[in-house]
Amino acid sequence: MHDLDFYVLLDGAYPWVPYAGKRKSNYIDLPNAHYDRVLGQRVLEDQLETLALLESLGYDGAMVSEQHNGPIGVLGNPLIAGAWLAARTTRIRIAVVGAIINDYLTPIRMAEEIATVDTMTRGRLDVGLPVGHGMQYHSTGVMNPAHARARYREAHELLIKAMTEPGPFEWHGEYFQIPYVNLWPKPLQEPHPPIFIPGGGSAETLELVAKHRYVYQSVLSPRPALLKTYQRFRDLCEQEGYSADPKQLAQVIEIHVAETDEQARLESEGHSLWQYQNFFRSPMHDNFPPGYTSPQSLAAMASGGYRSRPMNELRWEDLVENHWLIAGSPETVAARLRESVEESGAGRVVLGFNAGSKSRWLTQKSLTMFAEEVIPRLRPSGVPAWRHQRLVGYETNAEYGAGRPAAPPRPTAAGMVDGGLVDVSSAHIEDLRSPLEPWPANGGR
Amino acid sequence: MSPQTTSPALAGLDHPPAFVDVDGLRTAYRRRGNGPPILFLHGEQLAGRWLPFLEKLAGGHDVIAPDHPGFGDTPMPPFLAGFDDLVLHYDGLLARLGIDSVHLVGHALGGWIAAELAVHYPRRFASLALLAPSGVRLPHVSSIDTFRMDGDEAVTSALNGRDERYAELFAPDRSPEGLIRRFSERATSARLAWNPRYDRKLDWRLRRVAAPALVLRPQEDRIVPVAASVRYAELLPDARMVTVEGDAREPTSHLMHVERPDAVAELVAAHVAAHA
Repeated sequence: MHDLDFYVLLDGAYPWVPYAGKRKSNYIDLPNAHYDRVLGQRVLEDQLETLALLESLGYDGAMVSEQHNGPIGVLGNPLIAGAWLAARTTRIRIAVVGAIINDYLTPIRMAEEIATVDTMTRGRLDVGLPVGHGMQYHSTGVMNPAHARARYREAHELLIKAMTEPGPFEWHGEYFQIPYVNLWPKPLQEPHPPIFIPGGGSAETLELVAKHRYVYQSVLSPRPALLKTYQRFRDLCEQEGYSADPKQLAQVIEIHVAETDEQARLESEGHSLWQYQNFFRSPMHDNFPPGYTSPQSLAAMASGGYRSRPMNELRWEDLVENHWLIAGSPETVAARLRESVEESGAGRVVLGFNAGSKSRWLTQKSLTMFAEEVIPRLRPSGVPAWRHQRLVGYETNAEYGAGRPAAPPRPTAAGMVDGGLVDVSSAHIEDLRSPLEPWPANGGR
Repeated sequence: MSPQTTSPALAGLDHPPAFVDVDGLRTAYRRRGNGPPILFLHGEQLAGRWLPFLEKLAGGHDVIAPDHPGFGDTPMPPFLAGFDDLVLHYDGLLARLGIDSVHLVGHALGGWIAAELAVHYPRRFASLALLAPSGVRLPHVSSIDTFRMDGDEAVTSALNGRDERYAELFAPDRSPEGLIRRFSERATSARLAWNPRYDRKLDWRLRRVAAPALVLRPQEDRIVPVAASVRYAELLPDARMVTVEGDAREPTSHLMHVERPDAVAELVAAHVAAHA
């Protein structure tokens, strides 16, 4: 079997809400009177503490997502969680999938945040660039679904250019006009952190990912559609002149492991159904507000693709059949997961371990069993991918001393000795305080 | 003119459009009748329909009813970003048709466009009639979010639940083409008015309008709050507001010109005649 990377996604859903089946949806306008501050603290801590545990369990990546105005998740800006995880972990990859670029007034602000968190994590950041659910476009006042795709494309182009090309440069686009694009800081990883793009199979997204050699993270595609999408992706990569790396395909699967198949179902069925019926439920026109997708994609979806079936009608058997859920004993989960990725060709799996309402102890039981009893069946050494990789930047002062640039400009100031420019890093030593070069008293005007 | 029956005859709805090039945009419009010219601007739901209300007006007027850019048979031009683009478009259309002075009539979104036109060209329009217009800010009234209604729900709301009577007019086209057309029209609405859903500058600018205005409001509007009509009547310097009445059990709806084509056409015709 091919080499597989194991990422774990925890969205941090807030489960103490009325049943979404009694409303159109629990997105957008569920009154936040249902949000209790103490329960909210518990949700965030369950999410973050469990993510922080993943490194010692032996997973390869910890993933968070951006959600707004509803119980689906408590991270309005997931890069903040990325910064927290940077401080609490040392080696595991941190996948922020991701901040919604259309939710920023300017992609430069997002580039700065990415660069900062990437530096904090010492180059362990993976960045996701979702367009954002249609439901997200209602609540912040800066996103318009009619411009979603065009603004996203331009923002992506600008974001990447800001991180990779020397500044300053000018930007004259449809959505952004910036006289000086000049990114400080730059991300630690060169040319930029790996990019994940979540998608539901649309041709535009697949082309973008293939062209830039990013990672495609499939979201809620029925199994036959997913297999077709992956094949189309590999074909598009061939058209771009290269063979797709299996690591470019990230398959999202909900997992629950217990002692027996029966026990796994007992422990997880209710939580899984809670998620599909509450967390994902929303009407078509909220999912696809006006202009959110191309009319062609909309027509294709209406005839059976992404979410063409109401989420609240899904049952355990449907989730299993679509490979959206793999639950069972360690043997069963390992066998089904192997079968699923061997057929799909995905080189990464993004594993959902908390369907939203599962308690921390139950989530951690399943995570621990998966780490100790499933991963070794699929990765005989059990050694996580990050153990084979060096961090970017430096780890010790000695490495800093050895690896820093030989001759950066010296920090200088004028007006101390004979009006000349003095190296201030050594100016506290009398003998070293001598001008490097003369500097006119008028400051060069 | 089509004969009027108790249930409005929906004759001539498939009246094919003519096309005129407006600054490079192939613009669909329908034009019938003789008399003083009326430019009618449709609302979001009824692009491309020659309504009995228009047929009635065409009995004594030269009625010009274009499809807005991005609606009906007029394509969405890439430059369309806001109401200023529509104002320039309609100035261009009138110039192209050689019409100098015209009476302006608009329903809902079309009423908003009409108001913007009258603000920008305050002396060009002989009179202004706004039917359940949207577009003014109502800080103390709960908004009605039509972007979160599906097509059927919007039609039902627009007719206060009496949509079955007008099945001929609103027979839903469930084909992929019909779906794409509706989605595209709504996307155009979102380009114009997703956020904000009004033009707060109208609060100040409407005082520029020199044309005498008639604001027609229904009794119960589930698409645009009736308060918007009231607010227009307050802000326009020379405005009169009239409520279009239904019978006791059936208060008129957002689509009052569909429900009461004769009454609405007569009110508009009288307003036009008074300012000819």
